[in-house]
Amino acid sequence: MNKNIGVYVCECGPNIPERIDVDKVVQEMSSMDEVKTVKKFNLMCSNDGKKFLKEEIEKQKLSHVVVAACSPKDHEKTFMSVCQESGLNPYLFQLVNIREQCAWMIPDKEEATSKAVKYIRAGIHRVLYHNPLKKKEIEINTDVLVIGGGLSGIEAALSLAGPKRKVHIIEKTDSLGGMAADLSQVLPHQGSKMDLIKKKVEQLESSEFVNINTFSQVKEVRGFLGNFEAVINTHSGNGGVEEKEIKIGAVIVATGFNLFDLKKNPIYGYGEADNVLNATEFEDMINSEKILLKSGKKPKSVALVHCAGRKEQGYCSKVCCLYNLKFAHYLRDHHPDIEVKELVIDWCLPHKQDQSYFEEAKDKGVDFIRMDELLKTKSTGDQIQIEFKTNDKSHSVSVDMAVVAPAMVPSEDTTKLADILNIPLDKSGFFKELHEMLDPVSTPMEGIYLTGCALGPKNIHESLTQSHATSGKIFSTLVPGRKIEPEVKVSEIKEDLCTGCQTCLSVCFYGAITTDSFKGVSVVNEAICRGCGNCVGSCPSGAIRSKHFTYPQLYQEVLDALR
Amino acid sequence: MSHQKKEETIIPEKGTVLSAEKGTKRVILDILKKALAENLFDAVLIPAQVPETEAYSWILLQDESLFEWADPLPPVMTVQGGRALSSFSKNGELEQNIAALLRPCEIRAAIELFKLKQVNLKNITLISLDCPGAMPLSNYMSDPQKTKKDFQHILEKWENSESLRPVCQVCQHFSFIDGTAADLHIGLLGDKNKNITLIPSSPKGKKLLDQLEFGTKDSVEKWKTEKQQLANEKIKRIDAFNREWKKKINQANGFFNEFNPCINCHNCMNVCPMCYCQQCYFDSQAINFKPEAYMQKAEQKGALRFPLNTMLFHIGRMSHMVLSCVSCGACEDACPVSIPVSQLFSMVSDQTQKEFKYTPGMNREDALPLQDFTEQEFCEVEVPDECHEKAPEEAK
Repeated sequence: MNKNIGVYVCECGPNIPERIDVDKVVQEMSSMDEVKTVKKFNLMCSNDGKKFLKEEIEKQKLSHVVVAACSPKDHEKTFMSVCQESGLNPYLFQLVNIREQCAWMIPDKEEATSKAVKYIRAGIHRVLYHNPLKKKEIEINTDVLVIGGGLSGIEAALSLAGPKRKVHIIEKTDSLGGMAADLSQVLPHQGSKMDLIKKKVEQLESSEFVNINTFSQVKEVRGFLGNFEAVINTHSGNGGVEEKEIKIGAVIVATGFNLFDLKKNPIYGYGEADNVLNATEFEDMINSEKILLKSGKKPKSVALVHCAGRKEQGYCSKVCCLYNLKFAHYLRDHHPDIEVKELVIDWCLPHKQDQSYFEEAKDKGVDFIRMDELLKTKSTGDQIQIEFKTNDKSHSVSVDMAVVAPAMVPSEDTTKLADILNIPLDKSGFFKELHEMLDPVSTPMEGIYLTGCALGPKNIHESLTQSHATSGKIFSTLVPGRKIEPEVKVSEIKEDLCTGCQTCLSVCFYGAITTDSFKGVSVVNEAICRGCGNCVGSCPSGAIRSKHFTYPQLYQEVLDALR
Repeated sequence: MSHQKKEETIIPEKGTVLSAEKGTKRVILDILKKALAENLFDAVLIPAQVPETEAYSWILLQDESLFEWADPLPPVMTVQGGRALSSFSKNGELEQNIAALLRPCEIRAAIELFKLKQVNLKNITLISLDCPGAMPLSNYMSDPQKTKKDFQHILEKWENSESLRPVCQVCQHFSFIDGTAADLHIGLLGDKNKNITLIPSSPKGKKLLDQLEFGTKDSVEKWKTEKQQLANEKIKRIDAFNREWKKKINQANGFFNEFNPCINCHNCMNVCPMCYCQQCYFDSQAINFKPEAYMQKAEQKGALRFPLNTMLFHIGRMSHMVLSCVSCGACEDACPVSIPVSQLFSMVSDQTQKEFKYTPGMNREDALPLQDFTEQEFCEVEVPDECHEKAPEEAK
């Protein structure tokens, strides 16, 4: 093949010529072998610029293109699609960054110019070693598997299910609704009564596009975005397990949370002293409308104890302050004869109505007591004595009943599920998002998304919002009738060099490498591989190469950059 | 640095002491025979003298009549046992039970290869034994009878001898390794030549002793004391050894000078248990260039040595395997031009392994240093200021 390289230097308005002698660069490049043409242009990324490049490729019959301009983050894709439109394989193109890496960082014009020359020369020598990589298209399945039938899972399923997208929802217990279904009421200022949850469950149950599997758990998930296969185990009434396989395009993890086990720390007195309840037990009492002591008598005083497990777990569970206030309101409204003492360490009242809700509780006569640290909860005759420390002094209160608010902890089997799905957990044991701020519902495994308390403590509002976010991700990536294009710049393993030591498996962030146990070698799944190159660097035998970062490409590039 | 060395090797207090009146080797072979007869093993992987010759080789023994050729402790190390075990077990799991009798350095190589999936230890019982060292292969080949006699003498006295390979003279891991490396250890020290001591080093090993009806009732104290004495002597020698080599090789040039006689045969790589790549980069076409490229290089440097990359090969090989180097000496035995390869690699590995607080092949759980990343690793190189806070403890 004849090598006709076209080199184009973009001026980027005044950005580049201010610091780089563009004419000199053009002149230097013109003398190079195999360079057919070198031209400058003011704004290559503009419509005129793209048109100019297209005409050049076609007219000059270019075999390779080098554009010296801005960061590849800005316009690599722009120019690659121009190449594609002009009939040139987009991977026979190289963008050289002379704006951020030369013009913007070197004040001396001569120096900046000479660096730009080196970089462009490096790009030219690199592009000569490029291979015309081919894009692939993969058919997709748009169905979704939702793991967990709590509020977050229900919301995601409801928003996704439709004629062109079936949703399978997996719930390990007997019914949908999760933890929220057991609540007496959602907080007054956060909306309606719990009927809303019931309505959502009914809506889901009546939908023809939703397949509900109760008593079920995920046994295995394999595949990649658009093409997952999951094995579901369903426990039947007679103790047997039924196994079935489903095909889906994406997975939503909505496994929710569990409550901190108060028995882990004796200071809460839970399980030791009578009439020490955890918050859900108290919810049950509210539901049955009977606030009674073990003896059957009505308590004269109730203590609401905050922050149980916060220190042990190392994080605040966000919702406990508010539901303790809910309990206080309930007691003052329905049982004005019961004295309410709230033992608070730190307030967490971040939402806009929370403050007035707190003020109202104060007005209703709730006794708020600040403590620095809870020391002990013990039975003294008929009463419960709670000892705590404030400002280095010990205090104590005596009440008939104590309600302790336990922290939210990862639901059981979280570790097991993380292993099945090949996604990471954070320090606290919850699932970890790809980026807390910038990508809050994605995981390293494309096509597996997270929502609700599976990620960490959240209130209902936040969980629902997050479920809509996961649905949005799926709506935009798995569009019915469309195919997906996996990454082309992937790794490949040379079978005859691979020793099967599996070092690459341990460094692959995306789970793209598996072992072919028959051949005893590692294999890259090109649909999952994102081309990060970790495996290439880790291979002790040099058996792995990255298709667009081959040794000759890098060697030539570095050689010229340093020459 | 991340690699916290696990707790010190724990040696069990009790084992079995057996009389060695019939001869040490005889007794060891009888134990293996008994285990085979009682179907505790289906075969034994052991060094043996090839009948009617002076050659030693690894054989998979099933036929009891061939036991007369087996030698648990041959005077030389021909093929490294870790390599032998890898070629036997790499491609899959075994249904039958196999016992493999190896020198401690061979077991350590096998454990390193196990971590790299080049050895499959399912159903394989590893048996180690006190090793006095091995004789240089070239000495043995030129005069087998004399070398055998010298070795027999060393085996009886357990004294250091200049006739042993240099790396064997300073070997730190000549005896019991650890709970999760081998399964059973055969102690030859203790009542030298009168008794041998069987020490279980894993639950599997203990079960084996019970199945053989030896039990674990005898004290192993005597063996332990003597082993410790010998270890102390060797520690003194390795310090002197490292000092001497460091003095000789204080610059890159000193290192290259040692490798100057190299004839590029790559024998050292071919016999090394840790060189497990299917194809070495230095044997591939990737290192061959067009003549004009060589001309250009020669012009730049003034002269060029051919074949190219002789030194780079040794440095490349070293950087690849030095963290797993068990100083077995196979490379030096294989070198036709008598380069002290093993001594040089041993000196370098001693230091690099210390940097990672890693001793290769000591147990099956320790992750290979380069597969085990922690943020705090080598912070003194990355963020000197942060490291200062932790320095006082480390400095000791």
